[in-house]
Amino acid sequence: MSLPPAAGDSSTGAAPADGAAPADGAPAPVLELRGITKRFGAVVANEDVDLDLREGEIHALLGENGAGKSTLMSILYGHLRPDAGEVVVGGEVVHLRSPHDAIARGIGMVHQHFMQVPVMTVAENVVLGAEPRRGVLRDRAAARRIVLELAERHGLAVDPDATMEDVTVGMQQRAEVLRALYRGARILVLDEPTAVLTAQEAEELMAILRRLKASGTSIVLISHKLREVLGVADRVTVIRRGRRIATLDAAGATAPELARMMVGRDLPDGIVKEPTMPGGAALEVRGLTVRDDRGLLAVDDASLAVRTGEIVALAGVDGNGQRELVQAVCGLRAAESGHVLVDGTEITGTGVTGATDAGLGHIPEDRRRDGLVLDFSIAENLALRRLRTPEVTRRGLLRRRRMRDTAAALIEDFDVRGGGPATPARSLSGGNQQKVSIARELACDPRVLVAAQPTRGLDVGAIDAVHRRLVAERDAGRAVLLVSLDLDEVRAIADRVLVIASGRIVAELPPTASAAELGAAMTSSGEPDPERTAA
Amino acid sequence: MSTTAPLPSPAEHRPTVVGVATAEVVDPRVARVAWAAVVLAALAFFITIPPVTLRTPAPSVVLGVVAAVGGWWAARAGAGRVGWGAVVGAVLAIVGAWVASGADEAKLDQVVVWSALFAATLRFATPLIFAALGGIISERAGVIALGLEGMMLSGALFAVLGADLTDSWLLGVLVGMLGGVGVAAIYAVFAITLRADQVVAGTALNLMALGVTGYVFVARYGDDGSPKDLSRVPELSLPGLGGDGFFAVSIGSASLMTWFALVAVAAVAFVLFRTTPGLHLRAVGERPEAAESAGIPVLRTRYLAVLASGAMAGLGGAYLSLALLGSFSQNMTAGRGFIALAAVIFGRWRPGAALAAALLFGFSSAIARRLDVFSDQLATLFNALPYVLTLIAVAGLVGRSRAAGALGKPYERG
Amino acid sequence: MLPARLARAATTTRGLAGRGVSRVGVPLVTTFLAFLAGGLAILVTGNDPFATYKAIFDGSGLSWLFPWTGGDTREIAASSLQQTLIAAAPLALLGLAVAVAYRAGLFNIGGQGQYLASSSMAIWVGSSFHGMPALPHVVITVLAGVAIGALWAGIAGALHATSGANEVITTIMLNWVAIWIGSYLFGLGGPLQNTEDRSLPVSPEVAQSARLPVFWGDPELQGLHIGFFLAILGLVVYWVLIARSRAGYEIRAVGLNPEAARTAGISPGRVTVKAMLICGAFAGLAGAIDVLGWEYRISTTDITVSQIGFLGIAVALLGRGSAVGIGIAALLFGALTTGASQRNLDPEIFDPALGTNLTLIIQGIIVLVASADIVLGGAVRSLAARSFGRLRTLVARRREASA
Repeated sequence: MSLPPAAGDSSTGAAPADGAAPADGAPAPVLELRGITKRFGAVVANEDVDLDLREGEIHALLGENGAGKSTLMSILYGHLRPDAGEVVVGGEVVHLRSPHDAIARGIGMVHQHFMQVPVMTVAENVVLGAEPRRGVLRDRAAARRIVLELAERHGLAVDPDATMEDVTVGMQQRAEVLRALYRGARILVLDEPTAVLTAQEAEELMAILRRLKASGTSIVLISHKLREVLGVADRVTVIRRGRRIATLDAAGATAPELARMMVGRDLPDGIVKEPTMPGGAALEVRGLTVRDDRGLLAVDDASLAVRTGEIVALAGVDGNGQRELVQAVCGLRAAESGHVLVDGTEITGTGVTGATDAGLGHIPEDRRRDGLVLDFSIAENLALRRLRTPEVTRRGLLRRRRMRDTAAALIEDFDVRGGGPATPARSLSGGNQQKVSIARELACDPRVLVAAQPTRGLDVGAIDAVHRRLVAERDAGRAVLLVSLDLDEVRAIADRVLVIASGRIVAELPPTASAAELGAAMTSSGEPDPERTAA
Repeated sequence: MSTTAPLPSPAEHRPTVVGVATAEVVDPRVARVAWAAVVLAALAFFITIPPVTLRTPAPSVVLGVVAAVGGWWAARAGAGRVGWGAVVGAVLAIVGAWVASGADEAKLDQVVVWSALFAATLRFATPLIFAALGGIISERAGVIALGLEGMMLSGALFAVLGADLTDSWLLGVLVGMLGGVGVAAIYAVFAITLRADQVVAGTALNLMALGVTGYVFVARYGDDGSPKDLSRVPELSLPGLGGDGFFAVSIGSASLMTWFALVAVAAVAFVLFRTTPGLHLRAVGERPEAAESAGIPVLRTRYLAVLASGAMAGLGGAYLSLALLGSFSQNMTAGRGFIALAAVIFGRWRPGAALAAALLFGFSSAIARRLDVFSDQLATLFNALPYVLTLIAVAGLVGRSRAAGALGKPYERG
Repeated sequence: MLPARLARAATTTRGLAGRGVSRVGVPLVTTFLAFLAGGLAILVTGNDPFATYKAIFDGSGLSWLFPWTGGDTREIAASSLQQTLIAAAPLALLGLAVAVAYRAGLFNIGGQGQYLASSSMAIWVGSSFHGMPALPHVVITVLAGVAIGALWAGIAGALHATSGANEVITTIMLNWVAIWIGSYLFGLGGPLQNTEDRSLPVSPEVAQSARLPVFWGDPELQGLHIGFFLAILGLVVYWVLIARSRAGYEIRAVGLNPEAARTAGISPGRVTVKAMLICGAFAGLAGAIDVLGWEYRISTTDITVSQIGFLGIAVALLGRGSAVGIGIAALLFGALTTGASQRNLDPEIFDPALGTNLTLIIQGIIVLVASADIVLGGAVRSLAARSFGRLRTLVARRREASA
């Protein structure tokens, strides 16, 4: 497939912003990336990308998953070196060989996966790499004092003495910001900072960014969330498939325009669902209580039912017990109390095999970790769930030809592109891997399908394909429980929406409910937030 | 482990949470009871051996049962590890006391000479202490220390070569240290730069070191063995400690290197936990990406750590050949590198605790040497004890004892 | 889609280097490097590497395979080749003991202990029950060895499955426990010491009825026993297990991605224990056939000096986990050990005391290079991919220029 002509090509799209800049008398850029190109083997991650950051602005870098945003920022932070192009800081061409060099140039980074040592304290993490000392000794009191002062000055509440792995994600992120500031960062790069935050924490972060901007810090904000970008950024650079598509002022930009630039074509039409008449309850969960790995209550007396021919969405902020609920329903985690029934058959405590036999299919949320054995061929992956059936094995031996034929049929049926039965799953794109994962579950012909974040990390086209498949299965009479963090997804394909917060089912809403209503329900646990703070 | 950022756990915020499973918050009173039970169990055995030498097991049984009940209660009340340790210890103590109280008193007096046992414990523990410190440095930086055995063996041979050529034990020890560093350097290139599988590379180096030391030894000394007149590490006679009092026998004539090993324990602990380089080393072992992003050079730090571990293991080997035995023989380390690794794990990657483990293992060797008064075979079997203890420790302590987060994971930049 | 096409292109280049070249090429290069280093070591001692390797080759009896070898030489070669094959059989089985675990994502460093546990058990059972008919005695003794080997490895598997104890540490510890228990059993005054000469720390002899029949060569002079076929059978079983059976599929799934296996309803713990039991059974078979096939007794020195379990690691790595590869690697190491042994190496050419150490060096280097060969292979691949990428951009630029 060749590249369709982009809606806003770099030349035309970039013109207004670039042209406007001198007229406004905007200050000289504190940072410039010029013609950055980076390849991994034969794959081009960035190609001839330009970016300029002005003093005291928030510049958003917008693009889909895999568009090359993170690679670009790794180059800026010295983790990677570009194959071509240069980095200019304060008008001077610099060669960043390691993060050490980047720090020395006043560049600070808040990574998507925080770069912290979990077993050390917050204060130790903030000062790591430039610890205050007294002679040869570390000066822990000074470190603590410095962190508290810095936190106070910028309004970033942290507990310096807490161990990093024990504090909330929000505080971990604030510590990460503090670390950059402690090292004298005047340019701050944040990589998908709101991906792991609750809505409220995300709001707080945006306020922090505005304050930092006001105090003269220049910020690059990497994101794929349009609303967020339009809410806080001054300018936006859109990249797609490693190339810069456009740079424009956020003030004049609209969400549909940006989306088109990001995706490279118009967004797929909404999914048209025929109304169905749901049948009896295929999946019933009654009073389920589950603890997480740390022994804390994760699911608290949750009850729900999914009928045949309907999609029930379980919506909520990440980490509110969805994972543990799914694991308990699918037999991967023991429930403390409560019951799970498939078609009236009790499957509590029967493990994965019991759940499968009763007619439950499970599309795991992390297909690379929990779903597929990436080094297995597609055929082997497709057989993983049906290992003990005569379809796959006879007298303990594999029926390899049968496996291959079944796989070929499923590949055809589910439109898996990029390989045949013998192709390793690793070499497929994310969307096609997900198709294999879904095909495997549906090959067992389950009555109930539990789909945990089935579109996570997929591009727009693949998301659309997954959605259509789920709706088709619902129309075919299966009961679908969709766990999703994405409200747009929930509203697009669900028939009913259950909202989970702090491990409890707190509301049932129609899919037509507004984002505000859903958001309110998600944060409605109604309990104070006893998060540890420095003050 | 691509990301360690824990997911937000709303349950964490809730005041209603009960029964926090992993938090090791033990009521101090319960902990005291548990430790008291351990002491009681030890006492139960102690009263049947010299100098007390009770000839009846009855008091020991009473003490042991009290200790077991106390330990059981403490274990139930939250102090699981120590409590169950006390229960196991009490059972062993009762059995041991029963045996000891029935044993020939004269033989018992011969075996249990505390001062001599203590001296032997130090002798056998010294090489383990050196190597275990090396192991801690390496594993704290995230590199598995499976090659200690080979580094020790190389240290032992090169120390002999050095002392033979220079006629100086000091230079011999230094050359031995370099022998350990040499093996460590090969290991570092493979484990760090080439990102090899560390277990496999460590195993390979042990095999190679066995071959190379044997080869060099045979080529250099042939059938004659190492020279008889090697310059040996002197013993340090403490002034004012003469005669055959307890201290005179136990520490009055310990090797200079033994004292050095004890100093090294404190030094390593100080560097690891009180200084910036130590903090950086631990950060590199726990989360190299984080260290790198804070401007700490991960690869260089790991190289230095592995070379330092080679130097320490080399010292351990040099002690074996130049202090303990005064000669070299093929495969003379005979698994001491692995016992040192066991001490590292037993000591949960802490220098002080590893010292305690090394002393425990040294003590079991010391006892084994003396048990032959009763039976040769008992003495032989006793040698398996450190390994069995370590098996129990790794099986029972997992979840509490935690190795460095990135142990064994090669680091690749970018 | 452009990225997908590029990714595919990258896979194709990887396929070239990964499948075709590195499967055979990397082991060959590894072996070559090891022998090269060994040659340097020989040079250092003032000997001729070529003559030395020739002497080791002759000592291994492999010259028997050449039809032009005749007369007395041929007879000696036959006897040497029998010893090479005797040595290769347990090495292959110990290689399998490592390979099965490797497939399950485990590192079985405990082949040594499993082998020794089995040897000790086989001595005990084989030297008891005098007067039992041969067939049942042999079968019972072999099975007893296999069972204790499986048990010994199973301890590590069970600890891994229940408490997550690292199998590298537990198998190392179990090795030493086995070594000391063996020393205890057969040492002076030990419960299983021989009764003829109480001054020797040696086990009693295995009864005639428990010995494996010799099918080639003189039974008195270590002819080739049927353990050789058991080893070949082991290789076949391994191939069927890994490539064709459900159990092997489960082992591989758990080894490659335990989380996905668990999510799909396979219990990683159970598979781990199963895999370790299989490993131990292979190592146990190795121990049993050595004792019952040619050693007939063991001394405490044999127990402490033996490194055979570690050579199994080298065999598995050099054979890259394939049945054929393990067979070939075992043959190579068997020939090397035999050819450089005190009995077979011509002392005029090279001191056998050095020779034994030389084989250790060569084997150590093979394992060392193998430890990084994924990376070395990767280096070859990335080099190929990079030049491929560079070529692409070059072509693209030229096309742009001409346009």
